[in-house]
Amino acid sequence: MNITLEIFAVILLITIGITYWAARRTATTSDFYAADSGLTAAQNGFALAGDWASAAAFLGFSGLTALYGMDGAFYALGPLVAFCTVLFLIAEPMRNTGKYTLGDIVRTRMQTRTSLLAVIAGTVIVNFAYLMPQMAGAGVLVRLLTGISYDWAVIFVGISMIVYVAFGGMLATTWVQIVKAVFMMTAGAIILVMILSMVKFNPLLIFQEAESKYTASYLLPGNYLKNPFDQISLGLGYVLGLAGLPHVMTRFYTVPDARTARRSVVWVMFLAGVFFACTTIFGLAAANFVGQDAIRAADKGGNLALPLLAQYLGGGKGSFGGDLMLGFVAAVAVATILAVVSALTLSTSSAIAHDFYVNWLKGGRVDGKREVWVARVASVAIGLLAIALGILAQGVNVAVLVILAICVAASANFPVLVLSLFWRRFNTGGVIGGMTLGLVSSVALAMIGPAMRGADAWWPLVNPTIVSLPLGFLGCVLGTLLAGRDFDNEKRFDAFLFRVHTGVEPK
Amino acid sequence: MVHSATSLEAAHASIRVLIGEKLRYLVPMTVIFMTCYVGLTVLAAFAKDFVGAKIIGSVNLGFVLIAFNYALSWGLAVAYGLIAQNKFDPLAARAAASRDAESVK
Repeated sequence: MNITLEIFAVILLITIGITYWAARRTATTSDFYAADSGLTAAQNGFALAGDWASAAAFLGFSGLTALYGMDGAFYALGPLVAFCTVLFLIAEPMRNTGKYTLGDIVRTRMQTRTSLLAVIAGTVIVNFAYLMPQMAGAGVLVRLLTGISYDWAVIFVGISMIVYVAFGGMLATTWVQIVKAVFMMTAGAIILVMILSMVKFNPLLIFQEAESKYTASYLLPGNYLKNPFDQISLGLGYVLGLAGLPHVMTRFYTVPDARTARRSVVWVMFLAGVFFACTTIFGLAAANFVGQDAIRAADKGGNLALPLLAQYLGGGKGSFGGDLMLGFVAAVAVATILAVVSALTLSTSSAIAHDFYVNWLKGGRVDGKREVWVARVASVAIGLLAIALGILAQGVNVAVLVILAICVAASANFPVLVLSLFWRRFNTGGVIGGMTLGLVSSVALAMIGPAMRGADAWWPLVNPTIVSLPLGFLGCVLGTLLAGRDFDNEKRFDAFLFRVHTGVEPK
Repeated sequence: MVHSATSLEAAHASIRVLIGEKLRYLVPMTVIFMTCYVGLTVLAAFAKDFVGAKIIGSVNLGFVLIAFNYALSWGLAVAYGLIAQNKFDPLAARAAASRDAESVK
């Protein structure tokens, strides 16, 4: 499949060009962490789409729909609805209150070192839980698509992301995401038009053929998520978890003000939302045209449904058009992984350099030049660690980590973030209580659940959010009450609230 | 900054107006999307037959409701954008301005 490598080489050259351009414009902390807050709403909207649509979205949603029908469509809907939560509650307050990280918000609110440490832990754990499966997925995907060995694929992805982040910071990461989003949506548009032209532009025919081929039960829910509570738990995890994912939320620091942050959310909701909706069509079309057996034969999880569909639409295996389409989709899939892992590396290095080193260890007394240097070194170290973990993860069941990332984000980071922004009584004890209970319950329940233990699970749900999220909030409330009232903090809350809603300090 | 105490009071009063206005719109909007989305997952989880009822051709109620949730999310996003621009932004600007005007004295 040389054509995949050729197309990918073009994408890689573009991203290296971007990084070279960005590196010359990245000097200050604000450049490195937030692209100097100079993006437009449309730019940030595209970057958010590139950031949020991981390989799980690009390949996974179509694959799940192809193999399991409606459950795949549920998987695709949640990530869009999640942006309603972000738009209404988080995006603008975050832009108004923080500077570079999630930790900034809690630090500004609580002004205690312990609360900052708790948020750093939440950020780093969620990011690594997200990063490791992405690295492992990259290894499997690149091997399947190009024939390069797993280890080399992981090393290649790791080095690329280190180069983007260490040299080009947020500016390079942003434009890598924008380029990826444009490629992803171009691929989606071409595939959609080709599918529609095959069914005489009547999408109902796609459903009809799916039903006649795989019976009506294929179009019912519950084929993939057998436990009904898992269905609800997954939905809840998505809708509230996105707001607790540091690598997506820090994108709101790249725009100048709350108004632009808001408009960038509306952009991403249409850009990514339309793509997510299309994955349902792609999945059904793949089941119809390629067939579930062929999809399963290529990859048990269905992750190759979209590349195979593209190959079929281009003219089938061996034809020039088929190879070209397959190569294009495969190259975009690899670019997708690169864009997401870069964002994760950047956001982790911000938490280490800005939150941990500068604000926790040195009390904020570090000059900008040194801080950027520390952040660059941190991104290299995180990248190397991710490569090592990715290689170790070969053959290990990483599904549990995917669930953990979103579950911890929803159960620990989200309650702490929301209560920091809006609850007067909330204090450092609450931050620690919420983080601890949210984190511990997510990890414990995921570890004893079916994702980790398979058939002999002690706990029935794959996704524990439905229990761990209320526990996270409970931890926040209990911690707050047990710690006793922090009257200084409550007195400062009026000024903080002013900043949350206006972006300026009340003098 | 002689009037800092009163200016602070004025600024906080205008913020309370803004928060009241935000609650008036955001609470119902949040209730709507959460009900529709979580409601859909509950239906899918516990009322499979209901969700499987055919609506148009082979398309069942579940897919229609999924499509409705897409439309609802987009509709709410656009509505929020307009409300924020026309209602919240002027109030936030007024709060910031009242603070500036008072503290100059």
